[in-house]
Amino acid sequence: MSAARDIVAGALCCIGTFFFLVGTTGLLRMPDVFTRLHPSTKCDTLGACSVIVGMAVYSGWSWELCKLVVIACFLLLSSATCGHAIGRSALRRNIPYWRRQGKETGDGNGA
Amino acid sequence: MDNFLTVIAIIIGLNAAICLYRAVVGPTTQDRLLGVNIVGTKTLVVVVLVTFILAENFFLDVAFVYALLLFVVTVAVARYLEAEGWKEAA
Repeated sequence: MSAARDIVAGALCCIGTFFFLVGTTGLLRMPDVFTRLHPSTKCDTLGACSVIVGMAVYSGWSWELCKLVVIACFLLLSSATCGHAIGRSALRRNIPYWRRQGKETGDGNGA
Repeated sequence: MDNFLTVIAIIIGLNAAICLYRAVVGPTTQDRLLGVNIVGTKTLVVVVLVTFILAENFFLDVAFVYALLLFVVTVAVARYLEAEGWKEAA
């Protein structure tokens, strides 16, 4: 029973780490602040919540399970709210959108 | 299992160090705020992992307060920048 629990927790941790890697790649490679918001909020919700739910499975039925579920639910709410606040402040500061430049492929860093 | 969790924590910490690049050279202030937000989330996950590596339960309270502080800081700085934008537009 404990081995099965370890396997499920390890699989959830691996999924979360994979989505953290995807979020880091998107944060470095996307050309614009509005497009960077997309991978970063994915990274927050999916990656962090996967790892935290994996740790909740690993801890078993205990008081820590309750705290971890509360942290995961709060992160689901707060990450989306933070992304929305950053996007709205970027929109109101009139930050220019990224456009594809001519026939060249973008260099990934132009804004 | 402890070694596995340590490896996961080290990988996530390296990810956070890479994300600091966007917080340092981000062309706009919103990019820097986004980078700081991501680094904070990864630090939160590392604290949760350290709870189970060291088997010290009080680190979960640290993680919870860290999540609350991260949310308040991000929303406050975003609203501050937004208010500055209103002053520019007027």
